[in-house]
Amino acid sequence: MTDLQRRAFLKSSAVALGAAMLGVSPGVSAAAPKARVLVVGGGFGGTIAAKYLTMADPAIRVTLIEKDPVFLSCAMSNEVLSGERDLKDLTFGYRGLARRGIAVVQDEILEIDPVAHFIRGASGGRYNYDKLILSPGVSFRWDRIEGLTQEVAERFPHAWKAGPQTLKLRQQLEAMEDGGVFIITAPPNPFRCPPGPYERAAQVAHYFTKHKPKSKILILDAKDAFSKQGLFQAGWKQHYGDMIEWVSGASGGIVEGIDPKTGTLIGQVEEFQGQVINPIPHQKAGTLAESAGLTDASGWCPVDQRTFASTLHPDIHVIGDACIAGTMPKSGYAANSQAKVCAAAIVAAVSGAPTPEPSYVNTCYSLIAPEHGISVAGVYALADGRIVEVEGAGGISPSDADDRIRAVEARFAHDWFRNITADMFT
Amino acid sequence: MRHRASLSLCALGLLTSLNLQAAGVRSPSMLANTCAGCHGTNGTSAGAQMPSIGGMDNGYLFSVLSDYKLGVRPSTIMGRIMKGYSDQEIWAIAAFFGEQPWVSTDQVAVADRIHAGREIHERQCESCHEDGGRGQHNESPRMAGQWSGYLRYALEICRDIGRRCHPNKMGERVMALSDQEIEALAGFYESEK
Repeated sequence: MTDLQRRAFLKSSAVALGAAMLGVSPGVSAAAPKARVLVVGGGFGGTIAAKYLTMADPAIRVTLIEKDPVFLSCAMSNEVLSGERDLKDLTFGYRGLARRGIAVVQDEILEIDPVAHFIRGASGGRYNYDKLILSPGVSFRWDRIEGLTQEVAERFPHAWKAGPQTLKLRQQLEAMEDGGVFIITAPPNPFRCPPGPYERAAQVAHYFTKHKPKSKILILDAKDAFSKQGLFQAGWKQHYGDMIEWVSGASGGIVEGIDPKTGTLIGQVEEFQGQVINPIPHQKAGTLAESAGLTDASGWCPVDQRTFASTLHPDIHVIGDACIAGTMPKSGYAANSQAKVCAAAIVAAVSGAPTPEPSYVNTCYSLIAPEHGISVAGVYALADGRIVEVEGAGGISPSDADDRIRAVEARFAHDWFRNITADMFT
Repeated sequence: MRHRASLSLCALGLLTSLNLQAAGVRSPSMLANTCAGCHGTNGTSAGAQMPSIGGMDNGYLFSVLSDYKLGVRPSTIMGRIMKGYSDQEIWAIAAFFGEQPWVSTDQVAVADRIHAGREIHERQCESCHEDGGRGQHNESPRMAGQWSGYLRYALEICRDIGRRCHPNKMGERVMALSDQEIEALAGFYESEK
């Protein structure tokens, strides 16, 4: 946050404080709960934080605030691009959480006052808190690829947040003629779902193989290596031959601009033309985290990795993709795991108990073909205040696994999705 | 066998209470909640190949999780995960899930399969997996109401490794089963609630 921004922010906070004194608080009612915890963001992190707080201590009053009426999962949305799954299978409602006694409110939070401990929504709603948990996900850096703006992304969809963008990309792939070139630009680290662009290539190749077998897929990467790389490259070859080509950053994959008129990607070395272009933007923490002054120079939120309390505003916790969580990737499972650690820390804090020793896990599956799944797992602990992988544990699927194991992992991928969403919404 | 189980339980109780006191030790719920992303909240799985583990015998869970850690029991991902925990932590995880209520699936197999499965069960399995697979102890898991997709997968693995399947009398019996028989057994157990 620049000084100017901070001044503007403090000014608006002061105005809001005035409103607080007038007693405007539609979101919160009387009674004296043990603590009031607000959770903003109803995705992989926020739902779990709200649920596990309520499960651990029913005396804590938990409110979950989400701007959308339903949740649309990014995980498994690459299967919408291949036609293997319908978007409605990725859609979840919040009724199950409401049944647990969590107040679920639809509102978009625009302002956070970390000093007076309240937030304000677009509805005009004002919510007071003792502890605030933000799980705001990612936002896009529109200044990193010249010509790529939010408006241009309506025509060249990123599909990195599931919903209309996913459907648009699917429609473009369906409309593409056989023999066309589909280009994905993969962003630099860190970004949401590290294996995602490469699974996307595989899923689209699965669709092309059935319907447009002369087509090609080009991945222009800002990086020189990627998640589960060996397993992906072997799987691409096995199922799709030479259909998918990956260009590393060092060999010309870095994209610096896009000409929306001609659909040309301007690389560091050469230009690329494609019939369907899927530029996945560079990323940073969700907008709310940034506007609330919770991000550092990296664009992400520094936190105490034992509790996920912001190091900038200690009564605000940041979990999921937006936070800096040691060596954990920005994944749905990581957000789930962080939410539980954060909830346990808050339960202890409001009960006057010592902060619990944390334990974290990540598990990510990727689908290369309907009967070919691969996985990565990580077991994490806190060491010297930083989340680190436990040595000797975790890692990726073996490179020499047979077809049967790959098929089992594909089924486990779908079960992973069933269970992680049940953990969130029931 | 029973003797071993009761020893295990004593050890569990002791470790659980120590865990709650010692600083720097991770609590059973802290460790076990990380499993829910795949095995469901409190170990009740939403399906269909992923087993429910909440409400299983703690001695059985400890031995299975330890076998994953040691690489003795075949797995896709569990071996990689369990290597991240000490034996005490594995006890704590097993104790946590052992204390959760068992929740059966709401699935029922077709009648023919249930009958065929029941016949195999009564002939070959009931002596250890008592009460239609509801009974359990540290060498035999609860199977009644378990996801049939998982049961089929576990039985197929057991058949593959034959006498290395633990305990080996289990391997010997499962080796003789056909695909249809395994499917019938899995359907039978899932239908028992």
